[in-house]
Amino acid sequence: MSGRYAFILAGGLGSRLCLLSERRAKPAVPFGGKYRIIDFTLSNCVNSGIYDVGVLTQYRPTSLNQHIGIGRPWDLDRTRGGIQLLQPAPGMTASDWYRGTADAIYQNVLHLKRRRAEEVLILSGDHVYHMDYNVLYAFHRRNRASLTVAVTEVPERDVNQFGILETEASGRVVAFREKPRGPIDSRLASMGVYLFDRQSLIRWLVEDAADAGSAHDFGKDLLPRLVARGEAVYAYRFAGYWQDVGTLDSYYRSNLEFVQPRPPLDLDDPDWIVHTRTADRPPVRIEAGARVTGSLLANGCHVRGEVVNSVLFPGVVVERGAVVRDSILMHDSRVGEAATLDRAVVDKEVRIGRGASVGEGDDLTPNRACPEHLSSGLVVIGKRAVLPEGLRVGRNARIGASVAEEDFTAPVPAGGVVDGPESMH
Amino acid sequence: MRDVLALILSGGGGERMGVLCAERAVSALPFGGKYRVIDFVLSNCAHSGVNQVAVLAQHAPASLNDHIGAGRAWDLDRRAGGVVILQPYQTRSHAGWYRGTADAIAQNWDWIEERRPARVLVLSGDHVVRMDYRPLVAAHIEREAAVTVAVTPVAASEARRFGMVHVERDGRIRSIEEKPTRTDAALANMGIYLFETERLADLLRARPVDLVLDVLRPQVAAGERVFAHEFAGYWEDVGTVASYYRSNLELVGPGSRLALHDARWPILTRDEERSPVWLGEHARVEESLVANGCRIEGRVSRSILFPGVTVGPRAVVAESVVMADSRLEDDAVVEHAILDKYVRVGAGARVGEGPAADVADLAWLAGLALVGKDTWVAEGGRVLRPSSMGVGGRYEDLEGGVLAAGTVLPNRRWYEELR
Repeated sequence: MSGRYAFILAGGLGSRLCLLSERRAKPAVPFGGKYRIIDFTLSNCVNSGIYDVGVLTQYRPTSLNQHIGIGRPWDLDRTRGGIQLLQPAPGMTASDWYRGTADAIYQNVLHLKRRRAEEVLILSGDHVYHMDYNVLYAFHRRNRASLTVAVTEVPERDVNQFGILETEASGRVVAFREKPRGPIDSRLASMGVYLFDRQSLIRWLVEDAADAGSAHDFGKDLLPRLVARGEAVYAYRFAGYWQDVGTLDSYYRSNLEFVQPRPPLDLDDPDWIVHTRTADRPPVRIEAGARVTGSLLANGCHVRGEVVNSVLFPGVVVERGAVVRDSILMHDSRVGEAATLDRAVVDKEVRIGRGASVGEGDDLTPNRACPEHLSSGLVVIGKRAVLPEGLRVGRNARIGASVAEEDFTAPVPAGGVVDGPESMH
Repeated sequence: MRDVLALILSGGGGERMGVLCAERAVSALPFGGKYRVIDFVLSNCAHSGVNQVAVLAQHAPASLNDHIGAGRAWDLDRRAGGVVILQPYQTRSHAGWYRGTADAIAQNWDWIEERRPARVLVLSGDHVVRMDYRPLVAAHIEREAAVTVAVTPVAASEARRFGMVHVERDGRIRSIEEKPTRTDAALANMGIYLFETERLADLLRARPVDLVLDVLRPQVAAGERVFAHEFAGYWEDVGTVASYYRSNLELVGPGSRLALHDARWPILTRDEERSPVWLGEHARVEESLVANGCRIEGRVSRSILFPGVTVGPRAVVAESVVMADSRLEDDAVVEHAILDKYVRVGAGARVGEGPAADVADLAWLAGLALVGKDTWVAEGGRVLRPSSMGVGGRYEDLEGGVLAAGTVLPNRRWYEELR
């Protein structure tokens, strides 16, 4: 064991991802044709030689638990070290549920005490990036930092969505503002990647836990306080691709970036393999008369129709005469004969009936139920929904998980909402 | 099924597979876009509840060791039972290659006996077949058979390739003819046998070499309780270039008889992590199987592409099998060919061009161009067919940039590349 230990915060709600994270935590949301978002962080750990990892879950952990299991795909099923799922449990401390990110670590501080690691790496399971954490460790030690925060430059219009750091030339952080409003000079955003000196972290967590006015969050409370009082906090500038797939639009966009001839991350890099749990599926089968261009398709897909500029996860079936354009279809969804999909994000095991037309017309009326997240023209369809033959669905529509054929009484207009029995909205 | 021990015979050196088996056993041949041939039998064992499995290997055993490992892909990495690979070995008093199928079993009898199975199921690692062994075992027990032989119907014209079995009305085997030119028997011996362990132990004391000639036929002749069990599903012995090529390409047709996609009986394999298939804007793929990790910008039709194959812009693959991590550069063409792993076809090169020449003593190549592992067909090179390039082939091998039809190039030794 390398004496390194990482916590991965995987409790994220991902509320701006609409239906995709309704029934699963954001780190468990499928991404890039076969992965889950957390695969990138887990693979970064093992590719950096970190084989001792604790995953903190809280919101809808079932899909994550199932995905991670004993950590076999990442070679984390180990005798020493390995992977531990750390869920909140009653009686651990005064508060049961994790109140914030810092509280989640505080409640699991015992796991640190049993380990020899001098530093503690705290990561988020919400981001898509390749990063060698060894470089971060080296930077941290060279600066004798108590805390190193990995940062990346973001466009000016996005600074209000991130924790923004201001630094000296040496990299030392002089100011930290969480989701700042109003003008700010810096565009360096925290990536949610923290390397702490262990002793300092424990001291600070104990101190924060006792603070009744704190929300017990790294970004909101701990970091601004440490910077303000002049602790040795450094920013490590990361120049590679980093994506916080926070909204449905950015989720859609960043998936389709992987269809480009030069994707933002090399998923075939033999030195930086992204591991995931894969079921045994046969190779992609493309039949006579099919036409597939500019797309990603995972093993188990079967195409008889047309697929253009789309991402198909394992086991997707596209029947003859069907057209899938600019869309994302997750595991085992089926598009019936002569059905059309345009700019649709389709969750797992959805059935699109024969001749249905999803995402049609020019009407861009925002979604009735969530206009703030669904207004760019995407149609989102929840897990296991069944769309009847010939159904017509306008843009910005939302069709809930497990909606059945009989739940549709008329065409779904632009911005329309069809909720099923299990809908949580 | 807990008292059944399976022995998978994987000693075959693939003498009829040429360069494809230069460094691997037939059982380790890549098949169907992501599998190895032995995956079918290992998956059958796992799904049939046979959890004690030994693979008897001799030729190029590293290929099987690497693939099977501890048996994780088949959930055969078990504390009790699991899968092991039994290779020929030396002791102070004994050293010997396996002389034949029966000899291979006899040499490992101590190991088998220690497991105390009631029955021993003998399988071949060279068969592509999806078969549930439970009905065979049930029939064997019900008939109180000493030996049960799995048989399958074959066309009369095919009979000369097989051991043909004459069966009584009650299922009892009357006689077996080896590769008859003419016969009225319609059932072929599949090379799958279930023995009562005690009976097999007795039979092996005579030090037989071949399981059919020295064990099975004498048992039938002596009137022992040897029964046939009929199996009607897909079954193919892929031990020749022709059968290997045909059974791969059958998978892309509309009426493929071998279902790879059956969630109740998935074919399990040791999967490498590869990204999804990427098809570029001008890609055109039809009637093909394409595995994860492939990147395609050109045209692919009626072909099988294993993981990590790259087909460059305007390149063409047709009627071919292309194994893992091979690469076609811009405008390259591969037709009627089998490319082993890590082959590089340079820009504009053409492999398997034109109609196959008729070369009498190369009938075993089935008119194809075979290209060995790590071969580099340089830019603009032409490889006519039938032909075979050895492992590690290089541009110097092509005279004036052309490999004539009827040429079989030997393998290069690995150290020649270090010159």
